[in-house]
Amino acid sequence: MRLISAEILKLRRRRGLMIWTGLMTVGSVVIAYSVLLALHLAAPHNHGPAGGLNNLQHMMWLLANLGGVAAILLGTTAGAQDVSAGVFRDLVVTGRSRKTLFRVRFPGALAVYLPMLATGFVLAVAGAYAFAGSSVAPTLHDVVHYGIAIGSLAVVTLALGVGLGTIIPPRIATGVLVGWGAILAPLLIGISNLGGARKGIDVAAAMHFAPDLGKGGTIAMSAGTAVIVLAIWTVIALRVGEFWTRRVDA
Amino acid sequence: MTTAIETHNLTKRFAGRTAVDNVDLVVPGGVAFGFLGPNGAGKTTLIRTLLGLTEPSSGEVHLLGLPQPTKRAEALAKVGAIVEEPRFHPHLTGWENLKVAAAARTREADGRIDGAIARVGLSNRAGDRVKTYSLGMRQRLGIARALLSDPALLILDEPMNGLDPAGILEMRHLIRSFVDEGRTVFLSSHLLDEVEKTADHVAIVDQGRIVVQGPVAEIAAGSEPTLLLEVDDASVARRALSTITDVRSVADDGAALRVVFTGGFNAAAVNRVLVGAGVAVSRLEPARVSLEERFLDITSRLGDNR
Repeated sequence: MRLISAEILKLRRRRGLMIWTGLMTVGSVVIAYSVLLALHLAAPHNHGPAGGLNNLQHMMWLLANLGGVAAILLGTTAGAQDVSAGVFRDLVVTGRSRKTLFRVRFPGALAVYLPMLATGFVLAVAGAYAFAGSSVAPTLHDVVHYGIAIGSLAVVTLALGVGLGTIIPPRIATGVLVGWGAILAPLLIGISNLGGARKGIDVAAAMHFAPDLGKGGTIAMSAGTAVIVLAIWTVIALRVGEFWTRRVDA
Repeated sequence: MTTAIETHNLTKRFAGRTAVDNVDLVVPGGVAFGFLGPNGAGKTTLIRTLLGLTEPSSGEVHLLGLPQPTKRAEALAKVGAIVEEPRFHPHLTGWENLKVAAAARTREADGRIDGAIARVGLSNRAGDRVKTYSLGMRQRLGIARALLSDPALLILDEPMNGLDPAGILEMRHLIRSFVDEGRTVFLSSHLLDEVEKTADHVAIVDQGRIVVQGPVAEIAAGSEPTLLLEVDDASVARRALSTITDVRSVADDGAALRVVFTGGFNAAAVNRVLVGAGVAVSRLEPARVSLEERFLDITSRLGDNR
């Protein structure tokens, strides 16, 4: 628990990273609602209410994408910071196993990221109801599904960030993961010739819970399959990072 | 007190290069032990191997009497170390960096943070970010981090590097104070003069091999006994000295006669012989061999044999 607290401390004290993460999770929702509200107040006939299901969907798209980038930044930083600061060897010589030193990174990053993402999500949902006006308000079913989709995507993305950030420099890891999430994964999901193999794509599995957020279409799969696919991605990312941490000279 | 560090046939090979070559090292407990060698001699590799940062290719390591890596966690819980240049998270304060390091130790380590910072004289800068620290301050913070385990053994890799003369003096006093408390300090360095002033025992390493090890005084005394003489008439003095059977050679280095003996010498007897021959002796002094001279002597002889 003390090691996880130390991970949280190391991340929280990164002012720039925290500002960007806050902007991409909470800030993006606040800014988007502010713009929608201003537009609606200025020209209510041309611009509908700022809330409602339709705008909640836009907010979720923002959280999935910008929030995803924040998760990548945070994850790769958590995965790399001890080694890149040259501190890892000083932790190894305490006698703590490398496995333990690696395993605290993910929960530490999660503890920093999830509250911010949750705040952004709660604001988005609250705004959808508060500013719904004459438009259709989201149902509880919609909110739960969006929550699962955003939450699961965040967990997988964060795990990928931690795992890959451990192996390659964080900037390169960030580029690879942003490229995967924004370009490659939607492209693969869109290639129908790949058939059922597309169920194995993490983004496709997360979007199962909120099909209207899917880029490049959605892949039909059961909830159980989606959960298993997401779990496999998470476990593989963390196992690879752990293997690497145990293998390299500190 | 048990042996602090003991290695048998310790070897570390990298692709095509042997960095540590069959090292048998014995570091007694409760002393300051200097590990001397030129840059690239294998000092840091040996330290990394001792601490389990890199696996040895072969051989045995015992830390505080505990076999490695079998009892690694148990041994390292009582070891504090600085390996190479002390590194920290630059965006954290000195205190926060120690907090992070203490989290990897037992809970008692948290309670030692303030004391360790005070011990190295950084209390007034503990709240500043480490990126604003000078190299000397980082060295001191590194020592403070090493103290969090209340170590029986401190392993310090080049602790004097980058320090100004005042910092070096301070570091020397700090190291001696650790020894006075009963801790063992193992310090690697290429600064022979500093090691001679700080350490009780030394090992000299060259090309991955331990060339010689033992108490500093014994190693420095390992060369031939020599007297330095200043006299009014060098040629008469030479003739007089040639009557002493133990004298191996007499050389005039310009300022003094350098008299080398085969065994020990009796300075009073030498003086008596010279005065008896009518030579006025204005200086008679045993030549002090520094560790540096001894080191150069050993390594140059090794160089001749390479």
